[in-house]
Amino acid sequence: MYAHRFTPLAVLTILVVVLAACVQPTPIVETVRETVVVTQEVEKVVVVTPTPVPPKRGGVWVEGSSADASILNPILASDSASFDVLSWFYPSLIGQDPFSGAVVPTEMAERWEVSEDGLVWTFYLRDGVQWSDGTPVTAQDFKFTYDAIASDLVETPRKSNVELIESIEIPDDRTVVVTFKSVKCDGLTDLGLGWLPRHKFAEDFSDIMTSPENEAPSVSAGPFVFKEWVRDDRATVVRNETYWKGAPFMDGWIYKIVPDPGARLAQLQTGELDMIGLQPEQLTTVELDPNLNIYKFKDDGYSYIALNMGNPENPMPGRDEEGNIVEQDPHPILSDKLVRQAIAHALDYDTIISKVYLGQGYRMASNVLPAVEWAYDPTVPFYPYEPETAQALLDEAGWTDSDGDGVRECNGCATAEEGTPLELTLITNAGNTTREDLGALVQDQLNEIGFQINFEAIEFGTLVQQLLGQTFDMVIIGWTGLGSDPNDDAFWHTRFDTPGSGFNFVSYSNPKVDELLEQGVSVPGCAPEDRAPYYKEIQQIIHEDVPYVFVTGTVANIGYSKKFNGVNPGPWSFYWNIEKWSLAE
Amino acid sequence: MTRYVLRRLLQAIPTLIGISIISFILVNSTPGDPIAVRYFDPNITEETKAILRRQLGLDQPLYLQYLNWFAGISLRRGDVVEEFAVGQTTCTYLAWLDTTLCDTQGGILRGNLGTSLSTKQPVWDRLLERMPATLELGLAALLVSLLVGVPLGVLSAVYQGSWFDNTVRVLAVVGNALPAFWFALMLIFLFGVVLGWLPTGGRQTVSLEMRFDPVDRLQHLILPTVILALGPIATYSRFMRTETLEVIRTDYVRTAKAKGLSPFSVWFVHALRNAMIPLLTILGPAITGLLSGAVVTETVFAWPGMGRLTLNAAFQRDYPMVLGAVMFFSALTILGNLLSDIFYGIVDPRVRLS
Repeated sequence: MYAHRFTPLAVLTILVVVLAACVQPTPIVETVRETVVVTQEVEKVVVVTPTPVPPKRGGVWVEGSSADASILNPILASDSASFDVLSWFYPSLIGQDPFSGAVVPTEMAERWEVSEDGLVWTFYLRDGVQWSDGTPVTAQDFKFTYDAIASDLVETPRKSNVELIESIEIPDDRTVVVTFKSVKCDGLTDLGLGWLPRHKFAEDFSDIMTSPENEAPSVSAGPFVFKEWVRDDRATVVRNETYWKGAPFMDGWIYKIVPDPGARLAQLQTGELDMIGLQPEQLTTVELDPNLNIYKFKDDGYSYIALNMGNPENPMPGRDEEGNIVEQDPHPILSDKLVRQAIAHALDYDTIISKVYLGQGYRMASNVLPAVEWAYDPTVPFYPYEPETAQALLDEAGWTDSDGDGVRECNGCATAEEGTPLELTLITNAGNTTREDLGALVQDQLNEIGFQINFEAIEFGTLVQQLLGQTFDMVIIGWTGLGSDPNDDAFWHTRFDTPGSGFNFVSYSNPKVDELLEQGVSVPGCAPEDRAPYYKEIQQIIHEDVPYVFVTGTVANIGYSKKFNGVNPGPWSFYWNIEKWSLAE
Repeated sequence: MTRYVLRRLLQAIPTLIGISIISFILVNSTPGDPIAVRYFDPNITEETKAILRRQLGLDQPLYLQYLNWFAGISLRRGDVVEEFAVGQTTCTYLAWLDTTLCDTQGGILRGNLGTSLSTKQPVWDRLLERMPATLELGLAALLVSLLVGVPLGVLSAVYQGSWFDNTVRVLAVVGNALPAFWFALMLIFLFGVVLGWLPTGGRQTVSLEMRFDPVDRLQHLILPTVILALGPIATYSRFMRTETLEVIRTDYVRTAKAKGLSPFSVWFVHALRNAMIPLLTILGPAITGLLSGAVVTETVFAWPGMGRLTLNAAFQRDYPMVLGAVMFFSALTILGNLLSDIFYGIVDPRVRLS
């Protein structure tokens, strides 16, 4: 027995290590950490009894989501909500460190080796992992899944995951040998999909599209097994007693669909929800609530303004059928690098981040996230907010206000007709209030230096049509889920400048960057230190060329209840150790 | 009567075919096709998307896509029997036309609304799945709006020009003008967060073991019903006020009064019944409206109903789902109007159905 008298304004941490004798045959070593913050003068005797505290079983975690899952099949799903639910069931080859994002052998592959030429990857699988019906999880499940993706009978958005795979062989149930057609340093991510339970599907893949398993998975190799799914209401999963990392202490997890953000916050406050993604304006409410925690992290995404360098009247592919670079029909205004740099100089980023993003953001200088430390180039400067520089750049580019109406016209500019006003359309998706606010601010600040910006918020599907169709001038949008590899060739390589479908929708065409992007993913050995120089050079060039105006890196906030002990979220996974969480009371 | 109903039903067929053509063209001409919007993801390559377009038949000309959706017949250039004869679909190669003809066993003609692009479920199943939640909320709102709106309207008429009448009239205007999403959030904040009396959303309290608990269900129903009934209460009360005022000026009411009947009997037995007749005409479409769901209320209260289903399908460009919902609601509207005409004929003998 210990007796403590607390002094005013003292922070006391009591660390009691107890060797506990439990009901269970094996004793458990338990650490109890208690933090007591005293802010008032109190006379109080606290008696801490070192009773053995085994983690308490029970409890349910309810996550609130705006959107429901669509399908619980790892090779058919494409939306993040589906993966939020289905990830509980399907084993995967490789794990990801929740804090660094690095590839780690924490899932089915215990270890792996790569051939000298970097083409043949051999994975050695963990023994003794079972589906919840007792069937062992084997290399055959992996092969079945990837063969299914390649099958004509399966309508899957994952066809590209198998494009570079020459063959998958399984010498025995615990070995997977994947041979790639060519070296692709980010190719491991192609192998990251969840494995289907082979014994639950027809061998010829004929029932993959229609199987009841897509709605109600009957087996699981993860911490939870499926229980119930009522669409647009909730999905419920319960403890998998046979989970190979140890059955979770909690009874289950519920994915509850609450479409309205205000209603989600209300339900977090009333305890009907245990966790939601927070919008910046909701932070204060949650900070003031003693029952709630906030986890703040740099998410793998950024917001930007895309500047179309091709003529929106005449979108052209970046390469012809023989693979030669196609000379683009230039955008009358934005094809000029000086104009793009002027825009980059004209925005007050600090005000944008503090007023529009309410401080939930950080500056980005170029295309690689600082979180990808080995590839990030910290020497690339941010564009400073310098309206005078921006004006000077516009003057230099031949855009001056000759008639004194406040809007500049082309007077000797590069690609527009003489007298054309400096008028551009800026669009974003309606309903995203942050982007709508940003749009209004960008419009103001650009009009200040002689642009005439027409700003419009339109429905997302319509925006996608204009964006991919390359018929826009400027778009405010963002990328999320960029992952831990710096390869983003889909945004810059001329190969992906295909009007209507490709993601190089700004028609960025720079042979040097094409080459560097290709080299970055095909370095023999794929060692980060060998790949880094290519990405650092790309960042310098992208910064200089301004195909995007990088507005802010994404800072995400998750509000969650203090119901459970052991919650230790990382930026790459909130739930990575969920099987070890236990009720706090 | 039977002949009338039969004729009306027969008339519905060309109407529905017309609707199917117009809605198919409209839905397909919305900007942003299903593949581009659903897979707005740089990790999904163009080649993959091209394969998906072909597998889903989205690469076909619009009139062939319509034929497939309407009649379940798919025509494709060349001999592609092996590629498309999957599952229940049977294909034959017509050499003289160099065309493969596939029978998909589908088509709205055979009562098959197709398969949802996002969930791969039959559209019909997805609609049926939402019926109970939609009906529950819709009927509750209808009941409340009639039980509150009609008496309010009649009493307003009885005490025409009094403070009561004026209050009801002002509240009716306010009730119609209040933005539902804002008022709903205010109610959630007051009754859910501050007072803690009522749940803030959903159809029931979620737990691992779901049991049917009528009290819990009723509690969840209260706030969304209030929000959804607000508009109709205002409409019905104003409607009933006008109708009642008209009826009480008629001769038979004067006669009833002259016979010395009690005011209650005059108003609620004689006047009300006749004043209610025109209400039937707006009730038919109202029932259809309730079945098709209420987007705003369902969204704010996380109610898993038809409105959200349709809206989400539209945003995701899930064409079969949107079209299926449109056809379903069209059929309901036609049926609702027919029913209200028939009831009208029964209640008011002056109206002859022919």
